[in-house]
Amino acid sequence: MNHPKGPILDGSMVDSRIKDEGAGKEQSVLSDIVSFFTSVRTTIVILCCLAIASILGTIIPQNINLEDLRRTASPFYFRIVVILDLHNLYRSWWFIVLLLLLTSNLLGCLLQRLPKIPKEWRGAADKGSVSFHRSDSRPIHEVKGMLTESVSKLMNKNPTVVEGGEATELVWVKHRIFLLGFPLIHIAIIVILVGGLIGLLYGFKGNIQLREGEVGNRFVLYPSGAIATLPFDIAVDSFTLTRYETGQPKEYRSDVVILKDGKEELKGPIRVNQPMTFEGISLYQANYQVVGVKHVRLSVKGVDGAEEEINIRPGESIPLPGGELQIKLASLDPGTTSRGAGVEIDVERAGKQDRVVKVFRNDSDPAKVEDAKIRFLGYEPLYATGLQIGYDPGTVFVWSGCGLLIAGFVIILFTNLSAVSIRLTQGDGRTKIRVHGRSRRDRAQFREQVEATIRESLGKSSSGA
Amino acid sequence: MTSIELITYVTFSYLICAVVYLLACISTEQESGFRSGALGLLIIIWCVHTFAIGLRWVESYQMGIGRAPLSNLYESLVFFSWCIGLGLILVRMKFRTDIVVLIGLPVAFIALASTSLLDPTIKPLIPALQSNWLVAHVVTCFLGYAGFAVSFVAACLYLVSRGFNSLEPYLPNQRLLDEIVYKSILAGFPMLTIGIITGAAWADYAWGSYWSWDPKETWSLITWMVYSMFLHARLARNWKGRRTAALSVVGFGAVLFTYFGVNYLPGLHSYF
Ligand code: HEM
Repeated sequence: MNHPKGPILDGSMVDSRIKDEGAGKEQSVLSDIVSFFTSVRTTIVILCCLAIASILGTIIPQNINLEDLRRTASPFYFRIVVILDLHNLYRSWWFIVLLLLLTSNLLGCLLQRLPKIPKEWRGAADKGSVSFHRSDSRPIHEVKGMLTESVSKLMNKNPTVVEGGEATELVWVKHRIFLLGFPLIHIAIIVILVGGLIGLLYGFKGNIQLREGEVGNRFVLYPSGAIATLPFDIAVDSFTLTRYETGQPKEYRSDVVILKDGKEELKGPIRVNQPMTFEGISLYQANYQVVGVKHVRLSVKGVDGAEEEINIRPGESIPLPGGELQIKLASLDPGTTSRGAGVEIDVERAGKQDRVVKVFRNDSDPAKVEDAKIRFLGYEPLYATGLQIGYDPGTVFVWSGCGLLIAGFVIILFTNLSAVSIRLTQGDGRTKIRVHGRSRRDRAQFREQVEATIRESLGKSSSGA
Repeated sequence: MTSIELITYVTFSYLICAVVYLLACISTEQESGFRSGALGLLIIIWCVHTFAIGLRWVESYQMGIGRAPLSNLYESLVFFSWCIGLGLILVRMKFRTDIVVLIGLPVAFIALASTSLLDPTIKPLIPALQSNWLVAHVVTCFLGYAGFAVSFVAACLYLVSRGFNSLEPYLPNQRLLDEIVYKSILAGFPMLTIGIITGAAWADYAWGSYWSWDPKETWSLITWMVYSMFLHARLARNWKGRRTAALSVVGFGAVLFTYFGVNYLPGLHSYF
């Protein structure tokens, strides 16, 4: 990867155009396609299109009911919406086509460029930040010795020496890992896009509602609303809602057991931000509902003045002090009036309804039933927990891609490729010296350093050529 | 003193610092003692700012809530201006140009001053926001935004310098401005990338899907694409000067929209 002054791309595109002039028409169509898929201009155009499409998606409401639209919108608009999937834009065919084009563009660019890396790895620096020639009256081996010593000091390492025929080449390359930075970033993005595509094709999402104490495996698929079955059962032991002192919710927690063929496989809590995963399927705490009452807490005071706290479950009959009367829950008000939460209680005498009393949390006086005084203390709701179900085999790719992406950034930000190559040849009784050098950062400074090093090392007996 | 009081002092200190900086830039030459003094003042204020954020963190533990101060609009604005302060100090140290600081300081001040319109109390976190990914997400996103803000300031100066020849002598050298436009994006872009990744990780833990195309996510992706276009234009197509400066301005527009404008769009994520 050549930087920024002389992108190899531009050079290679020019090359292919020159070749095309001699070739037939078909080949130029082919090379047009190739250069379409390997050009940064295409990338910029596709990115622009994706950006505009994404903006549209945030303006047009997504995932709405199409039936409503059919009734209200004009037929023409409705057809466009259906063909272009405007209300499901991010999963529409054309959006996916754009993503595929982006992926091919990236891939094309990579394939074009990867083969060049080994050469650069070895130190070839045809285009660079420094390039000059000198000649010297001393013989090659002497010049070679002097330059090796001084440039090695500058580059902080020893050169690779290539002796080929009459030419001797000395090459120093530092931080060559930098060459992998940009390919890594692009590979990472391909991996992420592929992961997203896998998720779109093979993943599913859904929702399951289970009461405390319930076991189930049938859930509703999103967004189709179809019913599907999990390969295991979920048993919900309990759902707990904890609050801060201010009343704001602090934690939602479902304690569940995963059962497979009736055997317990996994047990534990599911909280918001702490999903549970079994066989690749993850369960997330999504919401909850109050679906009933577990028990109601009442305080009952008899004639003797002794106060007793009782828990009464729906359907249960409890005798009042004295033993003649029994009470039973009739209905619960979770707190719709200013009296607060409360219950309606059937009072029974010998199995027959005697009367109905109501007690509420905020009542100042207790309800009187003969000699007994009843107060409402509170109730324990019966919850149903809503779990979101997600299966996405693409996430592994997405996260690996993200890892590669970050690795790529670390490489390009914290390494600095620099290289010097010196080629020595004999000609006209003098030693000819060709120096190439490049650095990614601080180019001007690097150029000065290289020039000064070589000037000082050779001294007066050499001259610029 | 509580962190909230401290932040109000910091807010006005940034204003004072901006005035001192202005005086220093008008009355003295580059690298004068006065100017270094103004920079020193900025660094001190920034350290107090850092301390105030830390103090707020400690206070939340004392209240038994215990969370990083990064979750509501008040806290994120305080943190945003902290990032801008950091960005300005780094740019000043690396490029030795005072005017970017001079323009950036009022931005930090306005960001902080606008917090006075918001509820500053420390509230407990609702369950969906209790995640370390969220902390990493907010920190990296804002560091990225700060880089983009610095680039934006430099880009505006560059465009002014190119557009009005009469002002050119008063502004830093165009080559330098162009370099700042590019380098700050080069620093901000990986931060934004990591911010988006950690945000996706958080969403994956909280909602079971790493990407759900809600407007905030979508807009951060759009921002990312704009800056990606910037980098490609610059690195692969060798764009420079006016065109990249314009892209930097567009990119910052996307940043602002991601941060503020998205709330006006339909259908936001509601945090459980
Ligand atoms: C949105 C995802 C991306 C796509 C689709 C993409 C695509 C491309 C393409 C097609 C090229 C042209 C290759 C060539 O010049 O032959 C390119 C070059 C380049 N890309 Fe990306 N890229 C993406 C992300 C990135 C990122 C995140 C960076 C990091 C800053 C980056 C940095 C570069 C650089 C520096 C070049 C020029 C390489 C050179 O000329 O040596 N790209 N990219």
